[in-house]
Amino acid sequence: MLDVTKKTSDKIELTRHKMALILVAVAAVLMVLRYAGLLPEALFRLPEAMIPPFAIWLDTIFNFVKDDLGLLKLTRFLTGGLEALLDTTANLLFGKRRWPNLGPIPWTSIAAVAAVLGYYLGGWRLAVLAAGTFVWTALIGQWKIAMETMSVLVIAAPVAFVIGITLGILAWRNPWLDRALKPILSVLQTLPFFTYLLPAVIFFKVGPTAGAVATIIYAIPPMILMTTLGLQKVPEEVVEAGHMSGCSRWQLLCYVYIPSARQEILVGVNQVIMLCLAMVVLTAFIGMPGLGAKLLAMMGSFKLGRSFEIGVTIVLLAVTLDRMSKAWVVKQPAHFEKGTPWWKRHVMLLLAIAAFIFFVIVSQFIEVASTVGRKQNFSQGKELDNLIKGFLNIEVVKSTTYFLRAFVNVQILIPFRNFILSIPTPAVILLVAAFALWLGGRKQAVLAAMFFSLVALSGWWDRSMITLYSVISAVSIAMLIGLPLGIVASRTERWSRRILLVCDTAQTFPSFVYLIPAIMLFGITDIAVIFSILIFAMVPLTRYTIEGLRAVPHEMTEAADMAGATRMQKLWKVQLPLALPTMAVGFNQAIMFAFFMVIIAAFIGTQDLGQELQRTLAGTDLGKNFVLGICVSLMALTFDLTIMKWASDQKRALGLGE
Amino acid sequence: MNKFTTALATGVLALGPLAAFAEDSSDPIVIPIHNWSSQIVMSNVVGQIFEQMGNNVEYVTTDSQAVYESVRLGDVTMELEVWEGAFGASYRTALEKGGLHDAGDHNAVTREDWWYPMWTKDACPGLPSWEALNDCAALFATAETGDKGMYLDGPVDWLKHGQERVAALDMNFTVVNAGSAAALWAAIGAAEADKTPIVVFNWTPNFAEAVWPGEFVEFPTWVDGCDKDPAVGPNPDALYDCGNPAEGYLKKAAWDGMKEKWPAAYETLTKISFTNPQIAEMAKFVDIDEMEPEEAAEAWLGANADIWNPWLSK
Amino acid sequence: MTQQPVISCKNVWKVFGSKPEAYLKTMPEGHSYDEISADGYIAGVKDVSIEVSRGEMLVIMGLSGSGKSTLVRCFSRLHEITSGTIEIDGQDIMSLSEKELIELRRNKMGMVFQSFGLLPHRTVLENVAFPLEMRGQDKHTRRARALEVIKLVGLEGREEYFPRELSGGQQQRVGIARSLAIEPDIWFLDEPFSALDPLIRREMQDEFLRLQGLLGKTIVFITHDFDEALRLADRIAIMKDGAVEQCDTPDQIVLHPATEYVRKFTEEIDKARVITAKTLAIAETKGTGEAVSADATVKQLAKLLVHDTREVIPVTEDGIIIGGMNRTDGLTLLLEAD
Repeated sequence: MLDVTKKTSDKIELTRHKMALILVAVAAVLMVLRYAGLLPEALFRLPEAMIPPFAIWLDTIFNFVKDDLGLLKLTRFLTGGLEALLDTTANLLFGKRRWPNLGPIPWTSIAAVAAVLGYYLGGWRLAVLAAGTFVWTALIGQWKIAMETMSVLVIAAPVAFVIGITLGILAWRNPWLDRALKPILSVLQTLPFFTYLLPAVIFFKVGPTAGAVATIIYAIPPMILMTTLGLQKVPEEVVEAGHMSGCSRWQLLCYVYIPSARQEILVGVNQVIMLCLAMVVLTAFIGMPGLGAKLLAMMGSFKLGRSFEIGVTIVLLAVTLDRMSKAWVVKQPAHFEKGTPWWKRHVMLLLAIAAFIFFVIVSQFIEVASTVGRKQNFSQGKELDNLIKGFLNIEVVKSTTYFLRAFVNVQILIPFRNFILSIPTPAVILLVAAFALWLGGRKQAVLAAMFFSLVALSGWWDRSMITLYSVISAVSIAMLIGLPLGIVASRTERWSRRILLVCDTAQTFPSFVYLIPAIMLFGITDIAVIFSILIFAMVPLTRYTIEGLRAVPHEMTEAADMAGATRMQKLWKVQLPLALPTMAVGFNQAIMFAFFMVIIAAFIGTQDLGQELQRTLAGTDLGKNFVLGICVSLMALTFDLTIMKWASDQKRALGLGE
Repeated sequence: MNKFTTALATGVLALGPLAAFAEDSSDPIVIPIHNWSSQIVMSNVVGQIFEQMGNNVEYVTTDSQAVYESVRLGDVTMELEVWEGAFGASYRTALEKGGLHDAGDHNAVTREDWWYPMWTKDACPGLPSWEALNDCAALFATAETGDKGMYLDGPVDWLKHGQERVAALDMNFTVVNAGSAAALWAAIGAAEADKTPIVVFNWTPNFAEAVWPGEFVEFPTWVDGCDKDPAVGPNPDALYDCGNPAEGYLKKAAWDGMKEKWPAAYETLTKISFTNPQIAEMAKFVDIDEMEPEEAAEAWLGANADIWNPWLSK
Repeated sequence: MTQQPVISCKNVWKVFGSKPEAYLKTMPEGHSYDEISADGYIAGVKDVSIEVSRGEMLVIMGLSGSGKSTLVRCFSRLHEITSGTIEIDGQDIMSLSEKELIELRRNKMGMVFQSFGLLPHRTVLENVAFPLEMRGQDKHTRRARALEVIKLVGLEGREEYFPRELSGGQQQRVGIARSLAIEPDIWFLDEPFSALDPLIRREMQDEFLRLQGLLGKTIVFITHDFDEALRLADRIAIMKDGAVEQCDTPDQIVLHPATEYVRKFTEEIDKARVITAKTLAIAETKGTGEAVSADATVKQLAKLLVHDTREVIPVTEDGIIIGGMNRTDGLTLLLEAD
């Protein structure tokens, strides 16, 4: 019986691949006709007249919702509440003159508490990291701006957490809500962040409130997903034990489900914090003060060294928060022997309070303990400037970049881009559908065709294609570099760990720090854009290659060794095929990151969707902003759906399970 | 610092009589901050003046185009640098919608146009004439532009019409749009290393003048209507065949409600007027001397009490 | 017995699939398990009628997937049954409201799970006190009671440990303690010892018998291990494909398997270990000389059977001779085993 099903599935496979080839053939015919000049113009690009004015419709809807339904009043009312919260933390952290007028808390106190917390969660290493981060921030003279960022983060992350966990619970309880939320979450996760920003400004007032709202919305999806996942994974018996203990529904949720899903929920918290931090920096574009704004300002006045220092601060903060929340995930409660006195049970808490109070008092007398003055900091901005400029001026670097510009850009990238732009719209749709059909299946192909048709209908086809071109080029180059790197690194435990650490750091470095060196190296060209995307796209490729290869079961590699395989044979015949599904996940993430970064690269100067999106930020063109955002999202989703389907199919076929 | 305290004292003394007449609201005056230094320092200078007058001041970072919508709604109280060329359009749109008004000009002119750093002149001595620039076009060629020169224009959304001008004057240049101001500086910075000739979009007052001395390219002089009537300018069939106006305005805009809510501060705002050298000095404090904006503002106030004191009195 | 059974279930069906009630109504009488599967449904419990009386230990036996766990979950209404009735102390549990059901569980039922079902974030003490907490008892009382049960299961001194700090056997002791905390009348144990290794399992069975000796609860015990069933059960119900194949005392099952399936199941069993003198006793004959106890197994009597010379040995229960056992019957059983 098994044999029969296998045969039929082979048959389906065959027709699927055949159909994909037919689609490619049709696309090829269209292209040939086009180059022969025989293709009617209407089949090359959708005529202007046929493009529905989505932006205007959306604007009408927005205006209706905003003004006629009074949403603006509601959001402005909410703004009031949010503002009060933000003002409170702003006062405590950097002394904004608002209730409760106690702040700013001396930096030494915060650093000390961070150290104690770090020690409690992960021992002395984490304590050093946590304290070191805050000490660095203060000494480098960025305390205030870092606290401006933190003051939003400490509100946004908990709010995102509460909303996320609530929606997660509701979605888990109500399958219809789950089904309704899934597509929305997918779109939200692929929507360029510029699209979060504009509505936030319009509905929630420019400044920290809008920044907080955009940050919250951006951080919610993973919380929902992790909550649902965690709740679904609670062992049936634990739930039954709850029932049999006579739990009411509410008790069951609070005492059984949520505590049992602790790990997944905390992983969600970790992701919320990381996304919040990433976004809180990006919200500088809509007037959020803090590290991001300072970074933009420094870049705007061409201060490379200072920008770099701010980048380092952001990385340190990110790494600290990441490590601390991850340590919290794995931290298991340990018991105290009976009769342990109260103070011993809470020794860490007491220590933190004591340290806090001690430094508050100290800073009353010693000013440096309270705030590091402007002349006292150790910023090395100028020296770093010279260092960076010096590096860029090295002959080898210059000749390399010149070669890359003259060869890769002129000979490869630009012709590739012209080629993509020369393909008739229907042919592109067919090609994408064929790709989805080949890898995913019928459903993916239909969705792919639908998504790209929508992009065509949006009227932003050429810009979308340029976006796609940047993504494809960057991911291809990233594969050329990232995959071999991953393969080599995965050979030893030590190098795996090192490279993974580099990956982590590269990823938390605020994305736009890369832009300036990219321009200085390559000028305002496509290659600069692709270079800045490349760094981000390489990270997941390398990481998942390492993880995939290292997860190949030992018996398999040992079996290969015993079969007398050479290293290369082992790699190609055993390890890579088994690691491929995992690597595909990395590939998918690389594409998602590339779509994210390509929008930021508009900062360099592009002619793609990102540039148009950046333009909408300056105005109130909500409709256009959304149409552009959705275009990006649709293209990203097409790849996401197809590749993830392929990866899970492969995993099942290899019996690796989900 | 000492100087500053004295300045503060005089300021407060000067204010004494004033306080009796106009009672300003204790709500914070919201001053927008953008992403270029002179504006940030100027905002801090004005903010500190207001603070001395007993007002609460708050700074918000906003987009320089979107800010006019915020001023109109009263989320932000004023805008201290309205550039004719860069923000004229956004400002006028907001003005038409109502909610903000013109609070007077600075005694400064603004100019935006094609610009080159001084080292470029060594390679192309005929500058600043645009014809000379066109003759040296090959000097500005890059790997991508072939034998044409590259002109790095501002971001597309600044609407600087570089492309149109190249066409109208039949210049041997390819226009590349930078994505941001930072991209412009990065390009100049990269060129600086081995003094590669470069021509980019730039404006004054701006910190860049202090970092990289340079000049504007002299195009056919601006005539009113050059952007609307093809007949105007050297090319009878094209728009944008002249340089930008060399003397654009730099003004202040205020929220309509400011006058009632903070009458004294408003009074001062209308009197405030900075000159080009003053603005450049503010920018220099931050960009060259690496001061923080607040610090730069204090320094400037300390050194220029005679300039700003008159703005306080009635 | 005039006493009302504690658990009484009649014609209970539990069918999994979409709209099982509707399916069951239209399903032809006598449809087999496979036929039901062919229709896309799974008969978890198939027309089961069974009674458990007070103080009795019923062991439900079967291979995995035979429906034994499903059945016990129907008793406590962790599963909603598709048709039939289940009464606990004469009360139809399907008619209970959610609140009443919770009350029932809070006061009458305890359950022990195969993988313990402990709450990982709570200490031993907190786990054991959990049902009491849900019941709303104050902290002091529930702590006192929990300590009492913890002591009962022999975990004294481990109150502050977290489940992951305990061995499997200790964890199951916590599970047992928790299920006993509310002093339930009915005790469900779903393969409580099968996740433990054989040595510990044996120890836990002894422990369990000790507890049962102290407490005398009505018990439904599930296992797939026949030896375990034989050691513990008053009666055994053997299940296959959702249906009860036979429900009887251990020795009856061994001696008179009702179906081919049960016969196969019992084939490998050392009957001498199960069958007691009582089963072999024939009322008409009395025999002479020293009597043997009615509940002694043939195995226990092996020495006697081999060395004794009497044809018939008297069997005594509660001091009364209830009949005589043919020595050859005993010897036959004894020899058959090997």
